[in-house]
Amino acid sequence: MSAEIAVLLVEDEPHIRRVLQSSLAAEGYRVFEAESGERGLIEAGTRRPDLLVVDLGLPDMDGVEVVRAVRHWSNVPILILSARTEESDKIAALDEGADDYLTKPFGIGELLARVRALVRRRAKGGQEMPRVHFGEVQIDLVGRSVTRNGELVHLTNIEYRLLAVLVAHAGKVMTHRHLMREVWGPGHAENSHYLRIYVSRLRQKLEANPAEPAHLITESGVGYRFVVQG
Amino acid sequence: MNCGSHTRTLSLPAAYLASVVACGLVTLLAMPLRHYLDLANIVMLFLLATFLTALWLGRGPAVVSALLGVALFDFIFVPPHLGFIPSDAQYVVMLGVMLAVALLTAQLTARARENAIAACRREEQTNHLYQLARDLAGTLSRWDTQRALDDFLERTGYRAVLHFVEPGGPVRETHLAESLQAAFRQGRPLEDGAAPTLFLPFRGAHGASGVMVVTSVGNAVPPPVQESELFRAIASLVAIAVERLNAAEEVQASRDQIASERLRASVLSALSHDLRTPLTALIGMADALAISQPPPAGAAQAASSGEALTAIRDQARSIGHMVTNLLDMARLQAGGFSLRKAWQLFGDVVGASLRQLRAAYPGRRVQVALPPDLPLVEFDAVLMERVVFNLLENAAKYAPDDRPIEVRAWLEDGKACLAVCDDGPGFPAQRIDRMFDLFERGNAESSRSGVGLGLAICRAIVEAHGGTIRAENRAAGGACVALRLPLGMPPSFEEEEEEARR
Repeated sequence: MSAEIAVLLVEDEPHIRRVLQSSLAAEGYRVFEAESGERGLIEAGTRRPDLLVVDLGLPDMDGVEVVRAVRHWSNVPILILSARTEESDKIAALDEGADDYLTKPFGIGELLARVRALVRRRAKGGQEMPRVHFGEVQIDLVGRSVTRNGELVHLTNIEYRLLAVLVAHAGKVMTHRHLMREVWGPGHAENSHYLRIYVSRLRQKLEANPAEPAHLITESGVGYRFVVQG
Repeated sequence: MNCGSHTRTLSLPAAYLASVVACGLVTLLAMPLRHYLDLANIVMLFLLATFLTALWLGRGPAVVSALLGVALFDFIFVPPHLGFIPSDAQYVVMLGVMLAVALLTAQLTARARENAIAACRREEQTNHLYQLARDLAGTLSRWDTQRALDDFLERTGYRAVLHFVEPGGPVRETHLAESLQAAFRQGRPLEDGAAPTLFLPFRGAHGASGVMVVTSVGNAVPPPVQESELFRAIASLVAIAVERLNAAEEVQASRDQIASERLRASVLSALSHDLRTPLTALIGMADALAISQPPPAGAAQAASSGEALTAIRDQARSIGHMVTNLLDMARLQAGGFSLRKAWQLFGDVVGASLRQLRAAYPGRRVQVALPPDLPLVEFDAVLMERVVFNLLENAAKYAPDDRPIEVRAWLEDGKACLAVCDDGPGFPAQRIDRMFDLFERGNAESSRSGVGLGLAICRAIVEAHGGTIRAENRAAGGACVALRLPLGMPPSFEEEEEEARR
């Protein structure tokens, strides 16, 4: 890594903190640590990190609170670490604007991949991309057209809007609620079956193997994620 | 209040004797006065004696007093003296009127006395019952209730035993069982003719609760049937007390249950946290070591330590899976587990499970056949993903690597069905029905890891959704596990109006 990228680690378990710290440092990141939510917020304010890794089960305050507080003043990418018993907290944190999550126990490889993706997204952030390629598909965001193997794919309005929202947030986990709000507008948050049906149709039209999607990924119980590389 | 002043303090023969003596005394008293008094006034003395006898000694002695008084008056005072046949007809009238008045007096006075005694008794009884009600209100158990009843009946010569009948439950005292059951079923007092026993069911508003069996102790008191009023009142007091006890027990039980559920939830979540934290650290450390391997001094050594690190990580991961399964199993079996149900498509769940499978079995071939027109099905996506992943993992574990795993979905009899099949050795035929039991494995000596939780948790999850899951062997060889979920009424879906985009 040429320009040093700063990562703030908010985790109360010393063993996990140490492992994450050393792995991230080995990858060339500059790592700051905080063992509590309060400390984490202070560090986030003073160090201005490029990425936050926040454990949901903090001793002093809810990880969701940390995400909410940070989102008041920053768009810095936030990766959530959660245990399986914190399912609803995880969704709340994503709804509050966290970008991605990892469920404990997770591998370092997974962690580094997620961190890399988030950092890359941040680096690219702001610049509008006219075209997106994935698999056999090319999306022309300016001309609002989608082709597959060079042939025009017909998408309905909603299908296109949904695809555009997912592509715009590539790599980020989008909760059902968030997607419903973006595509159908507020007031439709309860009709998430629409979302499932439309995602399924998009897969039929765009995925090489719709039964085993490589780009339009299901995050069970949470939402969907678009990834460029399968 | 004491009813003793009204009650007979003499035994019955003594009372009769006393009435005779009273008549004699009146006669002796009147003898010297007969020259100064009119016969009519002497009659008054005898009537007074009869009246007082009736008041103090009761009906029988009063009648004796009336008859004897008339006889003595006739014999001694009515001319001719010392003879029964009166000399004048007007004496006959006098004697007739005297007899009538004496008997009427005896009758009326005795009745008034009896009424007074009865009223007094009732009042006493009411006071006693009030006392009993107060005692019963303070009881804390069925045993207490029986004891309060024993105290109440202590000196009455009766004994009442409470038999509690649980609905449909057995009655322990076999020699009384029939009468008890009959009294309870009929819900009204039952008198046992042969033995002087009274069976009184008591029943609370919520279907409690038993039969009170009343017997007399010794022969001093009338059979309990004659006091059934009283015992009915007692039975209703007992019913109230038992009802109160049942309600208190229920409140206590639900309080206990809430407390124990809260405890269980906090234990599970603490356990989950405490188990996962070291596992996460362990996996992380193994990963970190593997990534930061120093350049190999000896290639062979590096390869073997790399293998060891991979093995550590894989084992820690599989412990992690087991912990997840165990904790979910514990939560499901504990009940009170809330499913986060939503209307889902099988495709999402199958896709997510396959993605999970790829992490552990990258090259495994899986054939998926999902009809495009499958309806929405209501389930908890996270838990159902666990089911499908467990089934896929089993297939990947037990079937040969080069044979594809098959996933199929279809509709059948109003059920949405999903099956995962493989070309492996299949389930052992004799144990196929027990494959979903906790800790059951196809081959107990198998070297493959897993404690037989996978299928058990699948069943627990599917059954929590009101569905069924079955294992079978395919005719061509290989195992098949199929789950069936009820279809229900999916929410409405409106197609968007198509208009040409752009």
